[in-house]
Amino acid sequence: MYKEIKKSVKKRIKESIVIGLFLMMSLSGCISEDESKELVIATYDIYGLSEEMIEEFENQTGISVSMIKLDDAGSVLDYLIKNKGTNDIDLAIGLDNTYLSTAIQQGVLTNHTASNLGEISQVALGPYNGQLAVPFDMGYVCLNYDNNLVDGKNMSVPTSLWDLTEEEWRGKVVIPSPQTSSPGRAFMLATMDYFTSETDRSDTSQFESWWSAMKNNDVIITSGWTEAYEMYYSGGYGETTEGYIGSAHITVSYCHSPGVEAWYSGSNITKSSSLDIPMASFFQVEYISSVMGGDVESSALFIEYLLSEEVNSKMPEQNQMYSVLEGNDLPETSGYLFHSIIPEQPSNLSMSEIGDNIESWLQLWNSAMI
Amino acid sequence: MVTGFYPSIWFNSLENNYISQDILQFTLFQAIFSTIVTLMIGIPIAWMLGRYRWPLESLIRTVLTLPFVIPSIIAAMGILTIIGPHGINIRADEDTWWWTLIIAHAWFNMALVIRFCEPILTTLDPSLEEQLRLLPNGQTRISRFRYLWAPLLVPSITAAACMTFVFSFTSFALVRWITVGNESLESMMATISSSAGIEGYMEFTSEMVLGASIIQFLILLISLWITSIIQRNRKSKIPQVNTKFVKTKNSMGWLIIVPALIFALLPIISVFLGSFRIREPVENEIIFRWSFDAWVVAWRGSNSFPPLTDALINSIGYAIITLCVSLPIGFSLASTISKLEENHKFLSQVLDVFTMLPFALSAAMVGLGVLLGIIKLDIGFLHNFWPLPALAHIMLTVPFVVRIFLPAIRSLDPMYDENAKVLGLKPWKRFFSVKLPLLKSSLIISTIFTLAMSLGEFGASFVVARNSDWVTLPLLIDSWRSKPMKDPFTGPASNVVATVLMLITIILFLFAERYRTNKEGGMF
Repeated sequence: MYKEIKKSVKKRIKESIVIGLFLMMSLSGCISEDESKELVIATYDIYGLSEEMIEEFENQTGISVSMIKLDDAGSVLDYLIKNKGTNDIDLAIGLDNTYLSTAIQQGVLTNHTASNLGEISQVALGPYNGQLAVPFDMGYVCLNYDNNLVDGKNMSVPTSLWDLTEEEWRGKVVIPSPQTSSPGRAFMLATMDYFTSETDRSDTSQFESWWSAMKNNDVIITSGWTEAYEMYYSGGYGETTEGYIGSAHITVSYCHSPGVEAWYSGSNITKSSSLDIPMASFFQVEYISSVMGGDVESSALFIEYLLSEEVNSKMPEQNQMYSVLEGNDLPETSGYLFHSIIPEQPSNLSMSEIGDNIESWLQLWNSAMI
Repeated sequence: MVTGFYPSIWFNSLENNYISQDILQFTLFQAIFSTIVTLMIGIPIAWMLGRYRWPLESLIRTVLTLPFVIPSIIAAMGILTIIGPHGINIRADEDTWWWTLIIAHAWFNMALVIRFCEPILTTLDPSLEEQLRLLPNGQTRISRFRYLWAPLLVPSITAAACMTFVFSFTSFALVRWITVGNESLESMMATISSSAGIEGYMEFTSEMVLGASIIQFLILLISLWITSIIQRNRKSKIPQVNTKFVKTKNSMGWLIIVPALIFALLPIISVFLGSFRIREPVENEIIFRWSFDAWVVAWRGSNSFPPLTDALINSIGYAIITLCVSLPIGFSLASTISKLEENHKFLSQVLDVFTMLPFALSAAMVGLGVLLGIIKLDIGFLHNFWPLPALAHIMLTVPFVVRIFLPAIRSLDPMYDENAKVLGLKPWKRFFSVKLPLLKSSLIISTIFTLAMSLGEFGASFVVARNSDWVTLPLLIDSWRSKPMKDPFTGPASNVVATVLMLITIILFLFAERYRTNKEGGMF
């Protein structure tokens, strides 16, 4: 009997091998056909990188683009670190100034050789001005509030972050988690600057007690920006979406989000406003970088393409972020520019400071919250 | 190793991190409650469907089974629409979320209960019950249930309960969208796993993933093991007759069947209607208009998204690859298990549990990702390996194929094969002209199940790094959904993709029902 089983197992293995071989043959056909130059890009869902735009690049250069789409900027960095030394990735798009210094420390980036770039504004080059990364879009992260309710009559407009720990705001503030969301992380960094001294960051007691007080005031922490803005925030377009809750009247988003709201509505109307509390907003720049071990030449072509006037000037419409090129601003159409603010005094953390401390600050945040 | 081998640190890290605090309790409790409610809803429906005669029965059964194959992200959308401000408007009250989640899980899993109980209910000889009526223990409805139905049904109900538990425990999209702010172990791991497994960088995520994946793996393994034991033990021989003799009429039964159909269909209808409803901001108000615009947009693709046809072609391609691989593997495994049962009971049991492992493996896969990060395996060439997602689909569908084939093979009379042998037929000829035709119905059902599961698969592709050339229908839905909803087409276009996916699933399912004979009910 045992022999019989062995035989039947053998037979099945044989069957499976035949099927496997057949499959392999049909598949290898697809692989060997492709011999043109290929550019592998690690990125996340960035709407500026549209299908049309990629297609045009492919037509112009004859290079075929293959995109690996990860969840967010953090995942892009994780992916680069995990694949260090494999030389498989040519370009990284979407690392921002909160992740860039870690990426540089980890040695996953290499100098780019792009030369034919448009004129990048000094503001965009503020956080980082080197060969390892080129800015392609930017914006300020700050608090947005529902000006229908937070109108000075029903609820008072906060002038300090401590106001949010008052009873009036119990359960009405939603913040994406700095552990899992880029805007959340940017906002946490802003609070670090807000609550510590610029010359000495070691006394973090105010930072910790503010976050603890927020927790005690039932702050809502979501895993991503989407849940915070679409589901909880009452001032945005969330009320038209499935799953809308609308219990929070203040959230973390971009200072130009109200402008985007107005622009999308097409009628210059929004009930969302940006809150300009000194040091409580964060200047975010997103970068495109050549990856160590990748094809630097093809990367340079793509960097030049993304930074060309033609492509980059479309950032506000395509990607809802500022263009980094000199002389470009948000369009005035439907109140886009009108409802967007540039904070008077954004937080002032240097990129190297962030890179050196981000992990311990995240741990501090975590212990303040549990 | 990044974290060393310190399981206690891993488990503690779950309690010491804000994101994973209380997550095990939440995951476990919701899974247990979901299981109980699913049984409460599923059993009466199974009873009515199984014991009584209904017009358009196969259509009813298709509709009631549909929720199970609908990707949970679509289900989440449909359910959110119903409870949202344009529906029954209970969303703003946070206290309703827990029960919404539980009922959503019941909606998703009730097909398991209905299908698992179906084979016994539809074929049990009614004379058994008549005989029992004459005995002292069979005088009342309750005692008949206790002495006849409970012993017969408990094994299949337990098996259904175990599977419901597994699916609720690993629930991903429903937890994330309905009980916002809460995560299941599974969704938490997907959120943080990308930075796990890197030496000297965010090591707490490695600890959390390892802790969570071990706990989840153990809990699921135990429940699957129980399922397998119960399924083997229920192989009892009971007198079966043709359904025609079993089923009688029951006009009161509509009181259960009609609400059940409405329950199953509501979220689906709301997704369908949602694909035609376009938001239009007018001054400070929001109005909706009805049109086919979203269909046009989704079909052509917007500037950020590939057209629907790309996703459709990929989805169908992966489904066919999955089918070509899963069916032979599943069939071989099932027949090996049933062969081994004769002489190597223990071996067959091990293999039986082993085939169900992929259900529990989602967690381990993430853990494996962590290990890969540590070992630094060069997986670079996989970036452009188009069939890669099909691998995940194969892992998920093989267990189903085995579950469907196993009972059929067990009940196959070896006499046919021996007769053919005596007649001098070659092995391959015996296989194709004797065995295969006898297993035709199981073959077709597994085909349909494999296709439908592969078409709707979402979770595994979500974890694997996505190449933009690999977009499938469920991934396209997710991409549309994650685009800010400011764009009035975001919601409707994702509903369009979902509707296309549902239509394909419905067609496949009705097709499967046509070939199903009640005698070979199988596990599903």
